Amino acid sequence: MQAPRDLMRAVLAFGGVLRTAGLPVTTPEVMDAVRALEVVDLMDRHEVYLALRTVLVNRMEEQPAFDRCFEAFWTYRADEGQGLDGLITTTQPARADEEHAPDSIESAQEKQAQIALDDWDEGEASEDEPLEVPGLSDREVLMEQDFSTFPAEQLDEVARLTVLIAKRLARRVSRRRKPTRRGGIVDLRRSMRANLMKGEIIDLRRRARRRRKVRLVLLCDVSGSMDLYSRFLLQFLYALQNVFGRVETFTFATRLTRVSDLLRGPSYKRALKRLTEVRDWSGGTRIGDAIRDFNQEWGHLVDRRTIVLILSDGWDTGEPDVLAQEMLTLKRRAGRVLWLNPLLGNPSYEPLTRGMAAALPLVDHFAAAHNLSSLRELATHLTLR
Amino acid sequence: MRAEIKKIQDMMETADYVTDPAIAMSVHLAMTLKKPLLIEGHAGVGKTEIAKVMAKMLDTSLIRLQCYEGLDAAQALYEWNYPKQLLHIKLEESTTHTTTEKEAAIFSPPFLIRRPLLQAISQPGAPPVLLIDEIDRADEEFEAFLLEVLSDFQVTIPEIGTIKATQPPYVILTSNRVRELSDALRRRCLYMWIDFPGFEKEVRIVTRKVPGVNERLAREISRFMETVRTIRLAKVPGVAETLDWAQALSSLHADHLDEELVAETLGCVVKDADDIKRLKRELASGGIGRFVAAQS
Repeated sequence: MQAPRDLMRAVLAFGGVLRTAGLPVTTPEVMDAVRALEVVDLMDRHEVYLALRTVLVNRMEEQPAFDRCFEAFWTYRADEGQGLDGLITTTQPARADEEHAPDSIESAQEKQAQIALDDWDEGEASEDEPLEVPGLSDREVLMEQDFSTFPAEQLDEVARLTVLIAKRLARRVSRRRKPTRRGGIVDLRRSMRANLMKGEIIDLRRRARRRRKVRLVLLCDVSGSMDLYSRFLLQFLYALQNVFGRVETFTFATRLTRVSDLLRGPSYKRALKRLTEVRDWSGGTRIGDAIRDFNQEWGHLVDRRTIVLILSDGWDTGEPDVLAQEMLTLKRRAGRVLWLNPLLGNPSYEPLTRGMAAALPLVDHFAAAHNLSSLRELATHLTLR
Repeated sequence: MRAEIKKIQDMMETADYVTDPAIAMSVHLAMTLKKPLLIEGHAGVGKTEIAKVMAKMLDTSLIRLQCYEGLDAAQALYEWNYPKQLLHIKLEESTTHTTTEKEAAIFSPPFLIRRPLLQAISQPGAPPVLLIDEIDRADEEFEAFLLEVLSDFQVTIPEIGTIKATQPPYVILTSNRVRELSDALRRRCLYMWIDFPGFEKEVRIVTRKVPGVNERLAREISRFMETVRTIRLAKVPGVAETLDWAQALSSLHADHLDEELVAETLGCVVKDADDIKRLKRELASGGIGRFVAAQS
């Protein structure tokens, strides 16, 4: 093997370029890439490309960025000697232009979200906690107040409460799943041990049957004033996350964006920021188109054990027929379809917009999501009948 | 092209798997770097097939773990053979063995049921190919568990001790992207995305797999499929559908596509009532010509 150090250096540099382009390349992967290049023909550029791609790309979506970086980084000079010399790197490493925009200034709203999130993993509560948040009664007024009417400085507090309530709810549900003495399936392993002396199984040990969890799919309208409501709903549902098998989240204004991946792990905070970025002030959401895109691209995520939640005020500038058709498709696939409309919190509101009127007959449950108590109420509807 | 990769490609072709350099490269690296290979792609593009072909090529056994929601260690790794244990206890009833002795007896290897993961690790001889199919169907908890097994290829059974693979198996994971897999798992694996085959490749697949189809029909079928995949359908047909269809057409002794034939056999191509309706509409508006004419 000639010039392994040069090869190593080149691959390391390439890893750096990929990282700049937003690909999460780790050191072990770089080492694997070096090993991979040892077993391919370095004179064959396409082969080098395929080998590096196999090792350094982790998901299909990363491929275009990888291709761009590879194009720019590895140049091939056929006339030069053997092995590594044939494959050199350009002096100017690729700049992946679009992906690495510097983080923008943190908005007050984003900070508010962070504060709430930082609390998520805090201590365990005791067994027989009431569902109400202790000391909440004096804040009862917060429970009923519309999210949009809170002054900015109070949003922190409200966001924290949202998460708190959700966590209590989640714990309550998970407690219900604990194994029981009766019912459930027989735990043979434990039974066997318990009855060793008896010669036959007299005392059956049981464990709760593993129940398939319900999945949630959220389609959040983030256009205009809906942004704030989406934020609270998301906080609420993600704090409930462990109750569900899976939570998939999409946002839409003018186009549909899948944000589930961003909402996982530590990058959750970034995702909330992203929600604001996709917001579209021009008004006029095409909900029908968004749901059509969803059915098209992501329909396979929905089955009879999936609850679909659509959060939107129903101001649709698209064709009501499209919306009705797509809602029907969605309803056929899903276990339940809930439509959340913050405007419903206003007593004088009637769902008269054309879009809303078209969608309403196809919705299993229509509710508000405009304040804390309506979110809490929502939790009771997150079951499959 | 490196000789080994060419050889893999040839061997795959001999095993009736129509391949391309990208697939051959991934298999080559999976075998030489001894790393799990994660294959993603639409349903019916031949992901699972790769593991089968690999086992054939290496002349070793294929151990398959089909994932589903709720899959747990007892189904994936090992379980005790409870009926056999019960019988044994019954037979031992009159003996003077102590409880400890009885316990040791029934929690010993003869009473162990080896599930796919344990099988793959404890198999004597040449390392097998372990196919973990549709990992996206299993729960996240299982994924974490799998990650542990894949990282050191050893399993600890409390009653017996630790079993470590003498030679780690070749591991192929497939995913239809029903849910997103964790970054940790992705990092552990080599990755390959298999797209729908291009026109030429699909023609090769059809002629290879369905010998009764002539060149013209194969080209028309592939062109038709290529066009169908550009239409928005609830369930985009994969290669499996292409082959079903070709098989059906072949048994009807067809040698080219016409409107009537397509209408009669459309059920092989798309399998959703709405999709059939949509496709029929498209066919009615542009005619069959639109689907097969663009012969280049």
